[in-house]
Formats: sequence, structure tokens, C-alpha cells
Amino acid sequence: MKTKATILIIEDEENIADFIETSLRAQNYKAVSTRMGKEGIALAASLCPDLILLDLGLPDLDGMEVIRKVREWSGMPVIVLSARNQEKEKVEALDLGADDYITKPVGTSELMARIRTALRHGAAAGTQKSENVFITGGLQLDFGKRIVKVNAEEVHLTQVEYKIVAFLAANAGRVVTYDAIISHVWGPYMDDNNRILRVNMANIRRKLENNPAEPRYIYTEIGVGYRMAEEE
Amino acid sequence: MGKFCSRSWWREKWEITWKNTLVTAAILTGVTVVAWLYHMLSAGTVNIVMFYTVALIFIPRFTRGYVPGIVAAMVSVGCVNYLFTYPYFSWDFSMKGYPVTFFCMLVIAIAVSAVTSYTKQQSGILASQEKKLMEAEKEKMRANLLRAVSHDLRTPLTGIIGASSSYLENESLLSEEKKREMVRRIGEDANWLLNMVENLLTVTRIRNDSASVSKSLEPVEEVMVEAVRRLRERIPEAKVKVSLPDEFIMIPMDAMLIEQVLINLMENAFYHARSSRPMELYAAVNGTAVTFYVKDYGEGIAPDRLESIFDGEATTGSGEADSYRGMGIGLSICKTIIAAHGGEIRAHNHEEGAEIYFTLPGEQEKR
Repeated sequence: MKTKATILIIEDEENIADFIETSLRAQNYKAVSTRMGKEGIALAASLCPDLILLDLGLPDLDGMEVIRKVREWSGMPVIVLSARNQEKEKVEALDLGADDYITKPVGTSELMARIRTALRHGAAAGTQKSENVFITGGLQLDFGKRIVKVNAEEVHLTQVEYKIVAFLAANAGRVVTYDAIISHVWGPYMDDNNRILRVNMANIRRKLENNPAEPRYIYTEIGVGYRMAEEE
Repeated sequence: MGKFCSRSWWREKWEITWKNTLVTAAILTGVTVVAWLYHMLSAGTVNIVMFYTVALIFIPRFTRGYVPGIVAAMVSVGCVNYLFTYPYFSWDFSMKGYPVTFFCMLVIAIAVSAVTSYTKQQSGILASQEKKLMEAEKEKMRANLLRAVSHDLRTPLTGIIGASSSYLENESLLSEEKKREMVRRIGEDANWLLNMVENLLTVTRIRNDSASVSKSLEPVEEVMVEAVRRLRERIPEAKVKVSLPDEFIMIPMDAMLIEQVLINLMENAFYHARSSRPMELYAAVNGTAVTFYVKDYGEGIAPDRLESIFDGEATTGSGEADSYRGMGIGLSICKTIIAAHGGEIRAHNHEEGAEIYFTLPGEQEKR
């Protein structure tokens, strides 16, 4: 079987790096791991991995610094794997350009799923999508015609609501922070009062979700942002 | 008497400080000026003595120790003699009754000094006793929590250590199926530990000194939905019926903490109600405040535990001390979190089970 993709693991905790490597190899990925942030940056440049798994608490430098350095020259997917569980940190990492933020501990099945998602994004970033339609479950979004359908029935969204949904759909599978949505939809000079976003989101949910109490398309990441379900 | 020998007592009562000197000098100067004015308007030595007496009562009130009072008494007597009795601006110690005046003023000064310093000391003792009591109370709560934590942590740890060592020692003897079972148990116990640690971590988000949290406006519906989603992730077989409030409402809270409270309450209902009927999660808006309800259709809560259920002693105090999934910590953490939000949490039984509900104040009532 063909080797799938190269994944660079930057993690100082040997036990954790070890189990991730083992599970990655079992899935036919090529895994390289390092304990140090600086070495990680160097390896990212020389190996050009398809994805980086990054721990934030490294012995030589802060993981945020690694994201910043890597983002200076590359758009390769970076998944942050951290024991820190403060919203602040999540938002910072995501705004710096991390593709995903996973809180430790994490099961292998979830980790693999998140890696697959990030890899798909990494692959899609270079190529122009042939069809301009986003589909997940019963939700269908036509970017060209600006039409949103739920279970084949057209749903009327306001201008702002459509912009939010389209932005989330374009980034489906990853968490988009409140600030990112606000500056995309209302422009960078909007004050950071996110109440207006929350109200719009509540309306979107009432329009799109069959049962807003159990959303299937748009998920909330408390204190961080929103995430659209993965495209099928 | 021992205390007279102690150095600190001696220093406290007889020390000379800048503050004492300045206060004493200021009061004496003030009273001298007033007395001088009075003396210009009407000549009466008796009333001037009264002025100084008043000053002598006030000086110990605003200073510490005996020195200012005694010094002030001497200065006062001197002033009366030198400035306000004939012959003016000269000393006359031969005046009739002079020793009596001097003696009386000295006694007043010492007596007042003693009384005020005693009162000050008493109120100081009272305050420090109160502080000690409060600290003892805090210490007790901390000890209770620690006891509950170590109990709840030890049980799954015993399972993990036991299973892993018996796996390594008896690997050849165990059947494939048994091995899988053991590893699965280890995973289960570890997950339970994780849940516990997450609960404890949330408490660190509450600021220790003021017992408050950093709040931001969050939509009630998002927190409820997210809590249910995370509960399902952890316990896929849990059945919850969610009803969101009809209107969109945002209230100030630390959303991560409130989510944790909802998860704890639902988890508690799942493990303790032992019911096949789904539990219910709903919220009611009254004015600006919002009340969250977690209602189950199970065995209910023993009436004698309704009061103490949030105190963290539920597992250690009652007969089921060794029951595996103790709810002690989870519920006491709920109470801590809600209290830090300025809200209230209560439990009661309804006809077919138990219901726990908590209220969070809205924006206007924010403290």
C-alpha cells in the first residue's frame, strides 16, 4: 500500500509522541517526531511534511512561536495538541493560523479523524474546487448562486446570515473564531462586541437546523467560535 | 503579670513615634489657640483648664500608648501656668492648689490612655478571632474537598494499577478476551479520572481572593446545546430531552463553568436516577434572570440529603461511602461555581423523581 502522508510530531512528552507515532504508522502515515521546537521548525522546512502536530508546552520555546514561524513561509496544516484548556489560548492559536486545536487527552480515533480533516484542507487549499457547491447532510450551499437549501427546500437567509454560513462552509470542519467571522462579515473596524454575531447565529440555527437543540450542521465551540460540519 | 515583662507590650505602650508626636503637638496647639482666643474675650482660668481637659481626652484616642497622654498632661499644666494664669508669661509654682490641678490632669491623661488602648486592643482581638474563624471554615471546606477528591481518585487508580500489573505479571495465563477486557477497564477508569480532573480544573478558574469569575455575555441556548453534546460524547447512552427557551437571551457567565455545571448535573441524574425515561434539560426566563432545570424520573433524593447534597460530604458521610461514582465532588463544585456567579442552586423531589435547578442573575442584577 502506498504511504499516505508525512506527519511531523513536535511533542516533548515521550509517552504521548510514542503512542501517536504508533497509531499513525498503523494507519500507513509516515511519522517523524522531535522533542524540540527549534528542531521542529527546521524539520518542517527540510521535510515539508503534509501536516504538523504541535504541542504548545515545549522545553525550548513556546508552541505559539512555532506556529508563527511556520506561518511565515508555509500554509501547511498545523494541528495544536495541548493540555492547556483556556479559551484564550485556543483563540490565540487559531488566530495565529493553526488549523485545529485538540485538547489533551484525546482518543486515537478522534485524533485520526481530525488529522484526516486537516489533510483534506491542506490538499484542497492549492486546487480550485471544480464544483461550487457545499453539501453536508441535508444542507446544501451553492456559492455561485448564493442559494441555501435544507432537505432540498430553499431557505431564505438575510445577506449577513448568508455571509456567515458561507464563510463557515468554506472552512468546514475547522473552528472559526468569533473575531475571524466578525472581521470577515462586518469588516475589521467592527467593535468586538460579538452579540450581533450571536443573535445572527441563533437565527441561522432556527432556519437551518431541524431541531436547534441538537444541531447537525453548525456546532459551537464555547468561548472560541463556530464550526461547520465536515463536507460529505 | 507576665505581659508587663514582655518586650512588645513595653514597646507598644511606651514607644515614641513621629505620628504620635505630630498628633499630640497638633491637638495641643489647636487647643492653645482656642484657649488664647477665649482668654482674649473673657478672662476665666477655670474654663481654660476645661479646654485642656477635653484635649487630654482626645489625644489618647488618636495616638497609641501612654506617652502622648502623659506628655500632653504635663504640657497642658505648663501652658495653663505659663500663659493663662497671673503673672502671664512667667512660671509660678507657688500658686494655691497647683499640685491638685497638675495631679488631676495627669490622672485624666493616664486613665483615658489606658481605657482607649484597652478598647483598641479588644477590638483588635475580636477582628483577629473572626479572621481565624473564617480561615478555619475555609480550611475545613478545603479539607473536605481534598478528602472527597482523594477518595474519588483512589478508587479508579486502584483499578488501573491493579489491572496493569496483573496484566504484565500473568500475561501468559490470560485469555485474549480477558486481556481486552482488562485494557478496556483501564481505559474506562482513566476516562473517569480525566472527568474528575477536568472538574477540579474548572475550580481554578474561580478567583481565589474574591471567589468570583470573569463573565461575558453568552447565549443560554448555545451553552445548553454544547453541554448536551459533550455529555453524549462521554456517555453515548444518556438520554436527554432538551427544550431551549423560545426567546434569544444572553446572560453574563463563564460559559465553560456553566457548561461544566450542566454536564455534572446531567451526569449525576444519569447515574443516580437509574431510569429508562429520558431526563429533561430546560431553562426558564424570569425577568432578566435565567433558571436552568435538570429533571429526572428516577428514585429521587433521600429527603435528609436534600440539604447537604451540595456540601461535598454526600459520599463520605453516608452508608454508600464506597460506591464507585460518588457525586460528592461534582455537586459541590456546581455549588462553588454557581455561588461565584452570584446565583443559587437547589435540589428538590417532584412526584416522579428529582430535580436540580440553578438561577443565574441577568445583566441588570450583575453585582
